[in-house]
Amino acid sequence: MSRVRILGIGSPSGDDQAGWLVVDALAAHGVHARDDVVIDKLDRPGVQLISLLENADWVILVDAMQSDDPPGHVQRFDRKDWPAYIEGLSSHGLGVLDALLLARELGKLPARLDLYGIAIGAATPGEPAQSAVMAAATQLARRIVGDLTPPVRQA
Amino acid sequence: MTEQKKTVSIHVPVLARVEGEGALDLRIDDGAITELRLRIFEPPRFFEKFLEGRHYTEIPDMVARICGICPVAYQVTAAQALEKLFGVELDPWAHAMRRVFYCGEWIQSHSLHIHLLAAPDFFGCNNAIELARIAPDEVRRGLRIQALGNELMDLFGARSVHPVGVRIGGFHAAPSLSRIQALREKLRTALPEAEALIRWAASIPVPQDDQAFISVALQHPADYAIERGDIAASDGLHIAAEAFDDHFAEVHEPHSTALFSRYHGQPYLVGPLARLNLNHARLPARVNALLAESGLLLPSRNLFHSLVARAIEILLALHEALRLLDAYRVPDSPWVPVTPRAGITTGCTEAPRGLLWHRYEMDAAGCVVNARIVPPTSQNQGRIEEDLRLSLLNFGLDHPDDALRLHCEKVIRNYDPCISCATHFLRMNVERS
Repeated sequence: MSRVRILGIGSPSGDDQAGWLVVDALAAHGVHARDDVVIDKLDRPGVQLISLLENADWVILVDAMQSDDPPGHVQRFDRKDWPAYIEGLSSHGLGVLDALLLARELGKLPARLDLYGIAIGAATPGEPAQSAVMAAATQLARRIVGDLTPPVRQA
Repeated sequence: MTEQKKTVSIHVPVLARVEGEGALDLRIDDGAITELRLRIFEPPRFFEKFLEGRHYTEIPDMVARICGICPVAYQVTAAQALEKLFGVELDPWAHAMRRVFYCGEWIQSHSLHIHLLAAPDFFGCNNAIELARIAPDEVRRGLRIQALGNELMDLFGARSVHPVGVRIGGFHAAPSLSRIQALREKLRTALPEAEALIRWAASIPVPQDDQAFISVALQHPADYAIERGDIAASDGLHIAAEAFDDHFAEVHEPHSTALFSRYHGQPYLVGPLARLNLNHARLPARVNALLAESGLLLPSRNLFHSLVARAIEILLALHEALRLLDAYRVPDSPWVPVTPRAGITTGCTEAPRGLLWHRYEMDAAGCVVNARIVPPTSQNQGRIEEDLRLSLLNFGLDHPDDALRLHCEKVIRNYDPCISCATHFLRMNVERS
């Protein structure tokens, strides 16, 4: 049985909750943490993300993304599509992509990594996410539920 | 030999993705530095105002938010200051575990700085990802050590980023013996790794430099000062934290919103190399043996030795955490009751980046009337400018702009200031005439 780790990355700020909303939506679909499934909501994991990738065969990672796409657009990134490294590493602001690129160099990526970005608009502290982002989180959660194999999925 | 009669103006307008904003202005006229200004805008300043009116019970969690890398330093310093004012006698357990908690922060912060920020410079790499290609085992080891530091912070703080475990009077909770036993094993396993890290760090060729500066660090008769001690300087000063203002002055410079600290009117150094310069005699025997093996002669006047100094402090922190956890017991209560009182108090500890000083005026209800926080980065700001000037002259001003920029970055990164968190932060507009 695969060891699955589902990581939703976000913050309590408006649309930036996207990753957390996916975790909430998964729970609403009956997907909860269990022995072979670890589910975490994270806030800027930085370099610690690398250690979270260890001991998992399959990692599903969801984060908010700023792009030209309208808020709520969901994009899956294959490894070959990861944008080229352009920014300097920062201990205060080590981004998800930076951490994944470093993990790749160190041979610490899991056998399967599903990386999803949800396009967002405003990340206003204390505000809820806009409806398009909430709908996208629910839609993506359904897709993830479909991907999870029966032994992993909660009855 | 290149033409000396020229003007080089290097202006770095904004340093992005850092805690606060900063910039570097460098102007060279006819082979001489005519302007060199490092401008830092430090967020901790705002926190001093945020703290006003807040109840003492809120302070540890609030000040933890000042820094994502060294929250323990801010928490422990604030707690030390307020406990002194309130006449709180900490349980010996809490005393010891505050130091263990702090060791976790040193381990994670130093390892992060060595491997992600500083070391790539010395291998001709642009970043840690490139370093990982040529030294994957060393980077993996660094991340393991860093993760162990986070685990220690998590153990006492409930989480490693912005931990919430400290309260005035002790800790909110005490870890179970089984969790401590599991961690002790990991700490023991990490000792040879940390020793190997020192050997690796000491083997990295660094530029030769020799500068005169004053080192300032806490000193304590019992141990290598981290969470307690008096303020000492390499010129013989030895004062209590309350006397900080008698010798150190913060001054505004027009080019920076961060305050510059001066010691008797001069710039000074805080941080790992300053600590090692002043306190190496208090290192445990095994750490001292590794220091001797490294060949580092102390006191050092070369700031490029900061990398190996951090490696030595990682081993020290591992030894200290193990020593204090070997006698671990779960206390009857992890905290003692506190009764607030009005007054003025100060606290001082050694953050990973150096001396951290707090001053609070409290009212009788236990609320903050005003607060002052002097972080290590602003204390080092004047020293960084002085170092840049001397290092650039030593390096040679006729190098291409990119080489000058890289050298400036290397120098600045030695100090691990908050602005160094972006490894390649100097985006420079260069004008030559």
